[in-house]
Amino acid sequence: MTPVESAERALRRAVPWIATSLALIAAVYVRALAFTPAEAAQGPAQKIFYVHVPSAWVAFLAFGIVGGVSLAYLLRKDPRLDLLAESAAEVGMVFTSVVLVTGPIWGKPIWGTWWTWDARLTLTLFLWFVVLAYLVLRGAVNEPERRARYAAVLGILGALLVPFIYASVYLFRTIHPMPVILRAGGPTLPGAMLATLLFSIAVFTLFFGVLLYYRYSLARLADARAHAAAERRDA
Amino acid sequence: MPQRSGGMPENGGYMVAAYVAAGAIYLIYTALLLRRGRAEK
Amino acid sequence: MHDLLRVTWAVAAKDVLLEFRSRSAFVSALVFTALVLAIFNFARDPTAVSARDLAPGILWITFTFAGMLGLNRAFALERENRALDGLLLSPASRTAVYLGKVLANLAFVGAVEAVALPLFALFFNVPVLPVLGPLVLVIALATLGFVAVGTLMSSMAVNTRLAELMLPVLLLPFLVPPVTSAVQMTAQLFAGRPFSEALGWLRLLVGYDVIFVAACILFFESTIEE
Repeated sequence: MTPVESAERALRRAVPWIATSLALIAAVYVRALAFTPAEAAQGPAQKIFYVHVPSAWVAFLAFGIVGGVSLAYLLRKDPRLDLLAESAAEVGMVFTSVVLVTGPIWGKPIWGTWWTWDARLTLTLFLWFVVLAYLVLRGAVNEPERRARYAAVLGILGALLVPFIYASVYLFRTIHPMPVILRAGGPTLPGAMLATLLFSIAVFTLFFGVLLYYRYSLARLADARAHAAAERRDA
Repeated sequence: MPQRSGGMPENGGYMVAAYVAAGAIYLIYTALLLRRGRAEK
Repeated sequence: MHDLLRVTWAVAAKDVLLEFRSRSAFVSALVFTALVLAIFNFARDPTAVSARDLAPGILWITFTFAGMLGLNRAFALERENRALDGLLLSPASRTAVYLGKVLANLAFVGAVEAVALPLFALFFNVPVLPVLGPLVLVIALATLGFVAVGTLMSSMAVNTRLAELMLPVLLLPFLVPPVTSAVQMTAQLFAGRPFSEALGWLRLLVGYDVIFVAACILFFESTIEE
């Protein structure tokens, strides 16, 4: 099977998985909205948690993948690793954006303000900026080999940055205490809420994996096509 | 377990807004991605 | 090792000399400093907001901007003359080139900071002299952090379609830990608080410098290999 054919097959195989994931997300929605009790003190807005938290987890997972795969690329120089990093960054961007959109919508009714410089949201914001820089950098370099190298360097440095931003925010909040972030149900989540959260995390992780696979296969296909065309020209 | 009661804040609108916004972002991206896939074929 | 130092020094000296001859970036940075001072002075209500509260943040905004001006100029110069190719053809190690550039940029930013700081002390009426020692330490550490990462980023930015515009996009998230630490420590120093309270920030800043200087040395090679 040629690279082009194998990439095309990967794309076709992924489509039913995408459909399944979307259906599962719908199931999460139904379960969270209709079959999970609301938290008495915070009201129904607390349920945003079931979309916000899994998205945040995936965003950081994606970012970790970008960092790790970037390092692997610099070591092995395999162009497929570069395509994988690119895919993880793009898909991760989507999840990060959802975190940044749902965060304030959750914040306003619960804490009275659209934005608080709390650790998770601030970290996510800067994650968003780094992924944006990553994607913009990729868009601004024409030669594939240099683009891959530059992106890899930025990906690794970005991953290194994360603990420092977290530490900055943490230190800042220690010195300038802010309103305590209400946890969804107190120190431990009641059973039904925990189950919904775990279900949601599993579904969104699956959704991410499927999107990543599709996006990666798309990149492989475009790359294989370009190579095939170049070979034909040379022949 | 907390039960729905009259003392709860009336902020369901935010919940709906967040769920719709998140769903829209995910759906739109998925649709765009699939469209790129179809165009590449 | 001796070779490394020699080449580093040569690269740094060349860059500093070039900048000294043209002085344009240096002058731009100073003009910006004066502008910031004037604007913030007129932008606030003196009875409502004390200059002392604003001073640390404004100081570091100015230093950061001066740093970016210097960073852009450094590699743009190389690109104009394709001088970097000449450097790379030489057996000089890539690390030496990187360190030389960092040194030159430090000299540039340091010069701007040395002029800006007294101006700030004057116009914002902040007690700089009593805390000069720790303050210089903070400024040096934070500047090292952002120049080290900035030099690496600008070596990439200069080879992209967007060039100067690319640098802030790449660099700004990386400035958060060092600049935040610096601002917090500066604020504490101006407020006359004992330095021991700032130890957390100092550790963060030193940790950042160690990790990122090492990482940039390691990865600079990847930004210029042909």
